[in-house]
Amino acid sequence: MHSIRHTYFYQQSPAEVWAYLTESELLAQWLMPNDFRAEAGHEFTFRTRPMPAFGFDGIVYCKVVEIVPHKRLAYTWKGGPGPGEITLDTLVEWELREKDHGTELLLHHSGFQERNSMMFGIMDGGWLKNMGEIADLLNKAKV
Amino acid sequence: MTPDIFQAIADPSRREILHLLSHQTLTINELAENFDMSRPAVSKHVKVLSQSGFITIRDIGRERYCLLSQEGFQQLQAWVSYFDKFWQHKLKKLETVLNNKSNPA
Repeated sequence: MHSIRHTYFYQQSPAEVWAYLTESELLAQWLMPNDFRAEAGHEFTFRTRPMPAFGFDGIVYCKVVEIVPHKRLAYTWKGGPGPGEITLDTLVEWELREKDHGTELLLHHSGFQERNSMMFGIMDGGWLKNMGEIADLLNKAKV
Repeated sequence: MTPDIFQAIADPSRREILHLLSHQTLTINELAENFDMSRPAVSKHVKVLSQSGFITIRDIGRERYCLLSQEGFQQLQAWVSYFDKFWQHKLKKLETVLNNKSNPA
Protein backbone atom coordinates (compact mmCIF):
# COMPACT_ATOMS: atom_id res chain seq x y z
CA MET A 1 0.00 0.00 0.00
CA HIS A 2 1.73 3.17 -1.16
CA SER A 3 -1.03 5.65 -0.47
CA ILE A 4 -4.16 5.75 1.62
CA ARG A 5 -7.67 6.33 0.33
CA HIS A 6 -10.86 6.55 2.29
CA THR A 7 -14.40 7.54 1.41
CA TYR A 8 -16.90 8.45 4.08
CA PHE A 9 -20.50 9.58 3.85
CA TYR A 10 -21.90 12.31 6.09
CA GLN A 11 -25.55 13.31 6.36
CA GLN A 12 -24.64 16.99 6.47
CA SER A 13 -24.26 19.30 3.49
CA PRO A 14 -20.88 19.96 1.87
CA ALA A 15 -20.94 23.45 3.40
CA GLU A 16 -21.25 21.99 6.89
CA VAL A 17 -18.57 19.39 6.35
CA TRP A 18 -16.35 22.04 4.78
CA ALA A 19 -16.59 24.13 7.93
CA TYR A 20 -15.26 21.20 9.95
CA LEU A 21 -12.36 20.82 7.56
CA THR A 22 -11.38 24.46 7.45
CA GLU A 23 -12.29 26.25 10.68
CA SER A 24 -9.48 25.75 13.13
CA GLU A 25 -11.65 25.20 16.21
CA LEU A 26 -14.06 22.85 14.46
CA LEU A 27 -11.16 20.96 12.91
CA ALA A 28 -9.60 20.52 16.34
CA GLN A 29 -12.79 18.86 17.59
CA TRP A 30 -12.19 15.77 15.48
CA LEU A 31 -8.65 15.89 14.12
CA MET A 32 -5.95 17.65 16.14
CA PRO A 33 -5.17 21.03 17.67
CA ASN A 34 -3.99 23.29 14.85
CA ASP A 35 -3.52 26.82 13.55
CA PHE A 36 -5.13 26.18 10.18
CA ARG A 37 -6.43 29.02 8.03
CA ALA A 38 -8.29 28.54 4.78
CA GLU A 39 -5.76 30.36 2.60
CA ALA A 40 -3.59 28.92 -0.15
CA GLY A 41 0.03 29.05 0.96
CA HIS A 42 -0.80 29.25 4.67
CA GLU A 43 1.63 27.23 6.79
CA PHE A 44 0.33 25.56 9.91
CA THR A 45 0.89 22.64 12.25
CA PHE A 46 -1.10 19.87 13.85
CA ARG A 47 -0.01 18.72 17.29
CA THR A 48 -0.30 15.20 18.58
CA ARG A 49 1.62 12.86 20.83
CA PRO A 50 5.21 12.07 19.82
CA MET A 51 6.03 8.59 18.56
CA PRO A 52 9.76 8.11 19.02
CA ALA A 53 9.71 4.61 17.53
CA PHE A 54 8.64 6.15 14.22
CA GLY A 55 11.06 9.06 14.54
CA PHE A 56 8.14 11.44 14.92
CA ASP A 57 8.09 14.32 17.41
CA GLY A 58 4.32 14.81 17.32
CA ILE A 59 4.25 17.91 15.11
CA VAL A 60 2.80 17.69 11.61
CA TYR A 61 4.01 20.56 9.41
CA CYS A 62 1.51 21.52 6.75
CA LYS A 63 1.03 24.03 3.98
CA VAL A 64 -2.22 24.65 2.14
CA VAL A 65 -1.59 23.91 -1.53
CA GLU A 66 -5.11 23.90 -2.94
CA ILE A 67 -8.39 25.30 -1.77
CA VAL A 68 -11.70 25.30 -3.67
CA PRO A 69 -14.47 26.21 -1.22
CA HIS A 70 -16.90 23.36 -0.45
CA LYS A 71 -15.13 21.14 -3.00
CA ARG A 72 -11.42 20.55 -2.61
CA LEU A 73 -8.69 21.06 -0.07
CA ALA A 74 -5.10 19.86 -0.12
CA TYR A 75 -2.17 20.37 2.20
CA THR A 76 1.28 18.95 2.63
CA TRP A 77 1.76 16.70 5.63
CA LYS A 78 5.32 16.50 6.87
CA GLY A 79 6.97 15.31 10.01
CA GLY A 80 10.16 14.07 11.52
CA PRO A 81 12.17 13.42 14.64
CA GLY A 82 12.86 17.05 15.51
CA PRO A 83 12.84 20.70 14.40
CA GLY A 84 13.94 21.17 10.80
CA GLU A 85 14.34 17.48 10.13
CA ILE A 86 11.67 16.19 7.78
CA THR A 87 11.62 12.47 7.13
CA LEU A 88 7.96 12.01 6.30
CA ASP A 89 6.93 14.12 3.32
CA THR A 90 3.38 13.43 2.20
CA LEU A 91 0.25 15.08 0.84
CA VAL A 92 -3.30 15.04 2.20
CA GLU A 93 -6.15 15.77 -0.24
CA TRP A 94 -9.82 16.16 0.56
CA GLU A 95 -12.65 16.13 -1.93
CA LEU A 96 -16.30 16.80 -1.12
CA ARG A 97 -19.17 15.62 -3.31
CA GLU A 98 -22.81 16.33 -2.73
CA LYS A 99 -24.67 13.03 -2.66
CA ASP A 100 -28.08 11.86 -1.42
CA HIS A 101 -28.69 15.11 0.50
CA GLY A 102 -25.41 14.62 2.26
CA THR A 103 -21.71 14.69 1.52
CA GLU A 104 -19.34 12.09 0.30
CA LEU A 105 -15.88 12.94 1.62
CA LEU A 106 -12.87 11.48 -0.13
CA LEU A 107 -9.48 11.41 1.52
CA HIS A 108 -6.25 10.66 -0.27
CA HIS A 109 -3.04 10.58 1.75
CA SER A 110 -0.17 10.04 -0.67
CA GLY A 111 3.53 10.55 -1.13
CA PHE A 112 4.72 7.61 0.94
CA GLN A 113 5.85 6.01 -2.28
CA GLU A 114 7.94 8.90 -3.58
CA ARG A 115 10.33 8.69 -0.72
CA ASN A 116 10.15 4.97 -0.30
CA SER A 117 9.42 3.51 -3.71
CA MET A 118 12.77 1.78 -3.79
CA MET A 119 12.03 0.23 -0.44
CA PHE A 120 8.80 -1.24 -1.70
CA GLY A 121 10.62 -2.47 -4.77
CA ILE A 122 13.10 -4.28 -2.60
CA MET A 123 10.28 -5.75 -0.60
CA ASP A 124 8.77 -7.15 -3.75
CA GLY A 125 11.80 -8.43 -5.55
CA GLY A 126 14.81 -8.78 -3.34
CA TRP A 127 13.62 -11.14 -0.71
CA LEU A 128 13.59 -14.66 -1.93
CA LYS A 129 16.79 -14.07 -3.79
CA ASN A 130 18.57 -13.03 -0.62
CA MET A 131 17.21 -15.96 1.29
CA GLY A 132 18.51 -18.27 -1.41
CA GLU A 133 21.91 -16.66 -1.37
CA ILE A 134 22.42 -16.89 2.34
CA ALA A 135 21.60 -20.57 2.16
CA ASP A 136 24.22 -21.02 -0.56
CA LEU A 137 26.81 -19.09 1.39
CA LEU A 138 26.17 -21.06 4.56
CA ASN A 139 26.52 -24.27 2.62
CA LYS A 140 29.78 -23.13 1.08
CA ALA A 141 31.14 -22.10 4.48
CA LYS A 142 30.54 -25.58 5.85
CA VAL A 143 32.73 -27.20 3.20
CA MET B 1 20.71 5.46 20.31
CA THR B 2 19.04 3.44 17.58
CA PRO B 3 18.68 5.53 14.43
CA ASP B 4 15.09 5.64 13.22
CA ILE B 5 14.16 4.04 9.92
CA PHE B 6 13.51 7.31 8.11
CA GLN B 7 16.87 8.77 9.05
CA ALA B 8 18.41 5.52 7.94
CA ILE B 9 17.04 5.78 4.41
CA ALA B 10 17.27 9.56 4.13
CA ASP B 11 20.91 9.24 3.05
CA PRO B 12 21.46 8.54 -0.68
CA SER B 13 24.52 6.33 -0.04
CA ARG B 14 22.52 4.18 2.32
CA ARG B 15 19.70 3.88 -0.19
CA GLU B 16 22.29 2.85 -2.77
CA ILE B 17 23.64 0.21 -0.39
CA LEU B 18 20.13 -1.22 0.04
CA HIS B 19 19.68 -1.12 -3.70
CA LEU B 20 22.91 -3.06 -4.28
CA LEU B 21 21.97 -5.57 -1.62
CA SER B 22 18.57 -6.09 -3.20
CA HIS B 23 20.38 -7.65 -6.17
CA GLN B 24 22.89 -9.72 -4.27
CA THR B 25 24.39 -10.33 -0.88
CA LEU B 26 27.74 -8.58 -0.62
CA THR B 27 30.64 -8.29 1.80
CA ILE B 28 31.50 -4.86 3.17
CA ASN B 29 34.59 -4.84 0.93
CA GLU B 30 32.50 -5.62 -2.15
CA LEU B 31 30.06 -2.89 -1.18
CA ALA B 32 32.90 -0.40 -0.73
CA GLU B 33 34.07 -1.06 -4.31
CA ASN B 34 30.84 0.57 -5.51
CA PHE B 35 31.52 3.85 -3.75
CA ASP B 36 34.11 6.60 -3.85
CA MET B 37 34.15 6.85 -0.09
CA SER B 38 36.52 4.96 2.19
CA ARG B 39 35.78 1.51 3.52
CA PRO B 40 35.32 2.85 7.09
CA ALA B 41 32.76 5.32 5.74
CA VAL B 42 30.87 2.50 4.03
CA SER B 43 31.17 0.49 7.21
CA LYS B 44 29.57 3.34 9.14
CA HIS B 45 26.59 3.44 6.78
CA VAL B 46 26.28 -0.33 7.04
CA LYS B 47 26.19 0.03 10.81
CA VAL B 48 23.34 2.58 10.66
CA LEU B 49 21.37 0.33 8.32
CA SER B 50 22.01 -2.62 10.58
CA GLN B 51 20.95 -0.75 13.74
CA SER B 52 17.74 0.41 12.10
CA GLY B 53 16.86 -3.12 11.04
CA PHE B 54 17.33 -2.85 7.27
CA ILE B 55 20.24 -5.22 7.03
CA THR B 56 21.90 -7.88 9.09
CA ILE B 57 25.58 -8.67 9.10
CA ARG B 58 26.73 -12.25 9.21
CA ASP B 59 30.19 -13.63 9.51
CA ILE B 60 30.55 -16.53 7.16
CA GLY B 61 33.98 -18.05 6.94
CA ARG B 62 36.39 -15.14 7.00
CA GLU B 63 34.04 -12.67 5.39
CA ARG B 64 31.39 -10.33 6.77
CA TYR B 65 28.29 -10.43 4.61
CA CYS B 66 25.52 -7.84 4.49
CA LEU B 67 22.01 -9.12 3.95
CA LEU B 68 18.73 -7.33 3.64
CA SER B 69 16.61 -7.74 6.72
CA GLN B 70 12.85 -7.61 6.87
CA GLU B 71 12.45 -5.65 10.09
CA GLY B 72 13.12 -2.16 8.71
CA PHE B 73 10.83 -2.70 5.76
CA GLN B 74 8.03 -3.90 7.98
CA GLN B 75 8.38 -0.73 10.04
CA LEU B 76 7.89 1.36 6.93
CA GLN B 77 4.74 -0.56 6.16
CA ALA B 78 3.71 0.00 9.76
CA TRP B 79 3.92 3.76 9.24
CA VAL B 80 1.50 3.59 6.30
CA SER B 81 -0.84 1.27 8.22
CA TYR B 82 -0.66 3.61 11.17
CA PHE B 83 -2.02 6.51 9.11
CA ASP B 84 -4.58 4.26 7.48
CA LYS B 85 -6.07 3.46 10.89
CA PHE B 86 -5.58 7.03 12.07
CA TRP B 87 -7.77 8.37 9.25
CA GLN B 88 -10.42 5.70 9.68
CA HIS B 89 -10.70 6.69 13.31
CA LYS B 90 -10.73 10.44 12.57
CA LEU B 91 -13.35 10.22 9.82
CA LYS B 92 -15.62 8.37 12.19
CA LYS B 93 -15.01 10.94 14.87
CA LEU B 94 -15.95 13.69 12.41
CA GLU B 95 -19.27 11.92 11.91
CA THR B 96 -19.91 11.89 15.65
CA VAL B 97 -19.01 15.54 15.97
CA LEU B 98 -21.23 16.53 13.03
CA ASN B 99 -24.17 14.50 14.29
CA ASN B 100 -23.92 15.93 17.77
CA LYS B 101 -23.93 19.36 16.26
CA SER B 102 -27.14 18.87 14.26
CA ASN B 103 -28.98 17.10 17.09
CA PRO B 104 -28.02 18.90 20.26
CA ALA B 105 -29.02 16.94 23.33
